[in-house]
Amino acid sequence: MHEHLSDVELARYANDPQSIPAERRRFIERETGRCATCRTSLDFLSVMSEEELAEVELGEEAGVDWRSSDEPMTALLHRIEAEDRAADELLAEMKLLSSPAKMAFTDVHRDRRLLTGGVARRLAAHAHQIHEDEPLDAVTFADAAIVIAESLPEDAYPRKAVYEVRGDAWKERANALRVAGGFPSALEALTHAERAYRNLESPAFGLASVALVRAGVLLEQDRLGEAAALAEKAEMGFAHLVQEERRMRAVFLRGSITYKAGEVASAVKLFEQVQEYGEDVNSPRWIGRASYAIGNCEVDRGNLGEASLQFHRALVIFREIGPESERLSAEWGLCRVVLHGGQPSEAIRRLRAVAAEFEKCSMITLSALVWLDLAEVLLALGETKQIAEIAARLFQLFKDAGMMTGALTAVAYMKEAAAAGKLTADGVNAVRTYLRRSSSRPELVFEPPVEPFR
Amino acid sequence: MQEPRSEAKRVTPPPVDAGGNGVRAVCEEAYVRFAPRLKKVAVAKFGIAPDDAEGLVQDVFATYFMHAASVEQVERYLIGAICNASRKHLQRTGAADELFCGKDPCEASAGDVLLRQIERKQLLSKVLARVGSRCRELLCRYFVHGESAAAIADRLDSTPGSVAVTLHKCRRRAVDAYRAITGES
Repeated sequence: MHEHLSDVELARYANDPQSIPAERRRFIERETGRCATCRTSLDFLSVMSEEELAEVELGEEAGVDWRSSDEPMTALLHRIEAEDRAADELLAEMKLLSSPAKMAFTDVHRDRRLLTGGVARRLAAHAHQIHEDEPLDAVTFADAAIVIAESLPEDAYPRKAVYEVRGDAWKERANALRVAGGFPSALEALTHAERAYRNLESPAFGLASVALVRAGVLLEQDRLGEAAALAEKAEMGFAHLVQEERRMRAVFLRGSITYKAGEVASAVKLFEQVQEYGEDVNSPRWIGRASYAIGNCEVDRGNLGEASLQFHRALVIFREIGPESERLSAEWGLCRVVLHGGQPSEAIRRLRAVAAEFEKCSMITLSALVWLDLAEVLLALGETKQIAEIAARLFQLFKDAGMMTGALTAVAYMKEAAAAGKLTADGVNAVRTYLRRSSSRPELVFEPPVEPFR
Repeated sequence: MQEPRSEAKRVTPPPVDAGGNGVRAVCEEAYVRFAPRLKKVAVAKFGIAPDDAEGLVQDVFATYFMHAASVEQVERYLIGAICNASRKHLQRTGAADELFCGKDPCEASAGDVLLRQIERKQLLSKVLARVGSRCRELLCRYFVHGESAAAIADRLDSTPGSVAVTLHKCRRRAVDAYRAITGES
């Protein structure tokens, strides 16, 4: 694993490279070329002080008035503000943001008032805002943003900045499609976003964001190696721009990928980085999420005391700040601790309570996953009758919620297998894996585990 | 059992809010305060000519303005961005300098990478020579200049749909030409 160069050495290299032996100098050059974090440190250490910069002669400096309203960047800023204000007024007047259906049926090409960078930016921003809860609506808004952004002339803004608008619109489509489970289309949208950003002379922010979303999509597709490489790339990109909040998103994603790959010890290290960051910036949300993730890892490692501490830490935070789903997940984590601690009856009681609470919050799939944990415990205790009851309850729950056929098939399999006394831990696991995957990939078909030859 | 909840659901920053309350003031202040400094960094640290440096500073700010509301630590962001942009600029101009170094023999010509690049470019020229002028223009606009189908349609007085169809045909024509040149079946 790469060890970052020390600030002391980098500062020496920045100020007096000749004082470092040639071989070591070459090593530093190679490392700073490869590692964004080391390069960032070197950049800051070697960016001269104000006094030194003051001595740099730029020749025409006296002729440049950075404050002049004729200055192109000042004009760009004023224009962006005016466009955004006009877009807010127009979108409110047309009531497009509140009605995805109206947006879908609006032919944006026919209303020239909509063909502005401001409208494209606002639609992309709206798509981002709703993409987690209403991904399909978010796709509609992102698509409208794309149509508008692509219709703007290349020279709509100075310095090719129109490509930033286009890249953002495509990226939001990808984000929404990822949540909606449209992974191939999300990757295609990311290709467009990347192509747009690459037209910019300063594309690092956009490209790092693309890498992060792409890593998220690949994680969902179980392409863990590619996902890990991209999440790392995103982390480095954000590190170089000193965007710590976003860098932490990349680190957390890396932790999730590593955990899914079964490398629990490495995942813990990554989640600890996030936890430390949360403590440094006093962000309860990051502390809570990282604690919850570490708790899960520790259960897998059999460190139940540490797991319990971490889950309790997360629980206290999410009780205070929400959301409810995170609070219930922490409670669920504690159920696992109790179960692995050899108290099945207490675990059963708690799991029932958590499942019921998820159900009350209409989080059907999460509720089902908790019920499956419960079924597994009951199976180990030989309580197959209770499992059949749980399966029947789940079947009804899914049916009432209008869940897809595949999920119903999976639960029906469990119900029948339990009634016939043939349900195994592998069977419960197959149902669990299916429910987890099918929530983002509805096209999946449930396949019961193959029974061993007798 | 349950997994850590993937942060993938919150992976991107909210985009673009340059027109929001106070954002313009922040942008203006950042521009007035840091633009001269960024230019000096490009000139003094990377040895970029002042005219080019000014363009790079504008590139950095144009991108920054578009997502200013979501940027943390503005100064550090801008310095990272100008360093990136300067390196990119140097890579580009460095490649041009390598091609036209004026030395005999040119140091650059010894590198396999450069030779392969030139071979690829020659092959591309041969392929493009066989696809006809309309296809040549379309392929160049779309793949080399990165123009969108909508932008091309606008320029050629056509529709994005028909540009996409023509592009598809041109790609097939280019593949056929490539196979004919390289002898691949």
